[in-house]
Amino acid sequence: MKFRVWWALARGVILESIRRKDLWVVAILGFLILLSAGALGVFGIDGLQVFAKDLAVSVLGLFSTIVAILTSTRLVPDEVRNRTLYPLLARPISRLDFLLGKLLGAVLVTWISFFMLLALTSLALMFFRVTFEPIMVQYVLAKMMGLTLLCTVGLALSSFMTPPAAATMGFVLAFGTGMITRAFTMAYETVDPGTQMVFKFVNGLLPQVGLFDFGSRVANLGWSPVPGWVMLALLGYLVVYGGGMLALSWMKFRKQAV
Amino acid sequence: MKQAPYLALAAMAGGGFAAVDLAPEIKVSRVDKAGLNAHETHASSSLLGQFRTSVSSYLWLRTDLYLHNGVQMRMLSKQELASGKRGVGGSESGREDALHNDDIIVSVVPSPDRDFRGWMGDIERAGAAWKDMKGHTHNDPEDALPLFRLMTWVDPAFTPGWLTGATVMGRRRTDEGYQQALSFLKEGLDQNPTSIPILAELGRFYIGKKRNFAKGLIYLERAYTAPFDPEHLSEDDFEGIQSAYRWGALAYRELGRPEEQKRTAATGLRILGEDPVLFRLLGEPPYVLTPEAQDEWMRNQIEKHVGADEHGHFEGDGHDHH
Repeated sequence: MKFRVWWALARGVILESIRRKDLWVVAILGFLILLSAGALGVFGIDGLQVFAKDLAVSVLGLFSTIVAILTSTRLVPDEVRNRTLYPLLARPISRLDFLLGKLLGAVLVTWISFFMLLALTSLALMFFRVTFEPIMVQYVLAKMMGLTLLCTVGLALSSFMTPPAAATMGFVLAFGTGMITRAFTMAYETVDPGTQMVFKFVNGLLPQVGLFDFGSRVANLGWSPVPGWVMLALLGYLVVYGGGMLALSWMKFRKQAV
Repeated sequence: MKQAPYLALAAMAGGGFAAVDLAPEIKVSRVDKAGLNAHETHASSSLLGQFRTSVSSYLWLRTDLYLHNGVQMRMLSKQELASGKRGVGGSESGREDALHNDDIIVSVVPSPDRDFRGWMGDIERAGAAWKDMKGHTHNDPEDALPLFRLMTWVDPAFTPGWLTGATVMGRRRTDEGYQQALSFLKEGLDQNPTSIPILAELGRFYIGKKRNFAKGLIYLERAYTAPFDPEHLSEDDFEGIQSAYRWGALAYRELGRPEEQKRTAATGLRILGEDPVLFRLLGEPPYVLTPEAQDEWMRNQIEKHVGADEHGHFEGDGHDHH
């Protein structure tokens, strides 16, 4: 295990993200959220608590997903384009270590953005005395796992496509998978067995990021915490699916002429 | 400008995110019914108008979500209804002031017996706001009242916000609730002076809830003369016209003005085509419902169970019985 190598590479990703002002954009978005929350206060928050929480988790989900996709899809292509990959690979760093370090960096940048937004939205909600229930802890943990999964998907896509194409595809998968799954579950009983098999196959192939989102449970009142087996199952899914995405990236990258 | 493509993608993603959130719940008929295309048919077809429409429709969908405590519901498709599938039903089924029809809705996340996804479906049901909604109850709709105020503030042309908000207030069945509902509807009328559904609802509230026929008829008369395009009648306007003529004819019947009752029913039928309620109000009531028929029925019953003398007089008719 080359933790120091991975950390050095991850640190580079974080510094690059600060240099590119990505995190500043997140901070500005957070400020806008606070302003919006202030506008909500004009109506009086009584009765709007659920709506405020719902809005907060929606904003968190939206912007953290955007950051995850944009950060992870440009990791490797940027290094190739800027020719900074050559000196890195000249050192005793394997290509797999390179990918793992970069992925760790993307995950950390995404988590930092998520926590910045979380802190700002929580502050805005606290201002109106809106409180979250204990399930919020599980929401945060699941969201962190979901964002990690998205980063692995972004990394894999960028190994096969140009950064804009990978980002587009990443957004389609992140935001479209839920819709596709809904359509499949609605239509499943009305289609022939052959099509049902296709539905099952495609459903298994798509990254089920929505499973990591407990937002609807957090925003509404009186929902019990999620059972422990769900958290474990999600972790297992992340390891298997994320591992698969990482393996795909490595298979492509290890044979890639740079 | 290097980041321009990324910003464009981010904007697209935002649209996609909204679509994911809204799509399962959007019901085409309801969108038409809701008049969500109001801004497209007016001069105010502007960016601000589109923004208002989007926000108000988003809030409209959220109210339904909060009513079910976060459990996403959807209408059954035509194919599903044709195949015999039925909705989950609810505690409000058949109520006059029910906020929606529970008999044609199901949860977006399917129940385990209808989900092919196996463990993935189990995880979703355990992690999302989901429960078996068969015969479900609703959260107190009054909790959503601030949302109705918010959506009508953002988009005063959003008629369903005014109508449903007033219905929620009226569900208390107290004078205070009716008064609040009437004030809310009048506020809506100030913003939409020729809205047939709002005028009809005001008439319905005054006649049906407050029993103030004279005042109700003032609003209904305004609804009759409000302009509408019979060729492109929205579902909202159709229901408004239907309600206005029905309640108008009923009010005239209650006031003992049969000529106006029949004239109103006839005009309504000319506009709406077939309508069983107006048809009944147009003609004489069926013989079985007249006081004479009821008297005859009662006499028959008494004769059968008590018996009458040879002159057809009953006990207690004021005649001597020997």
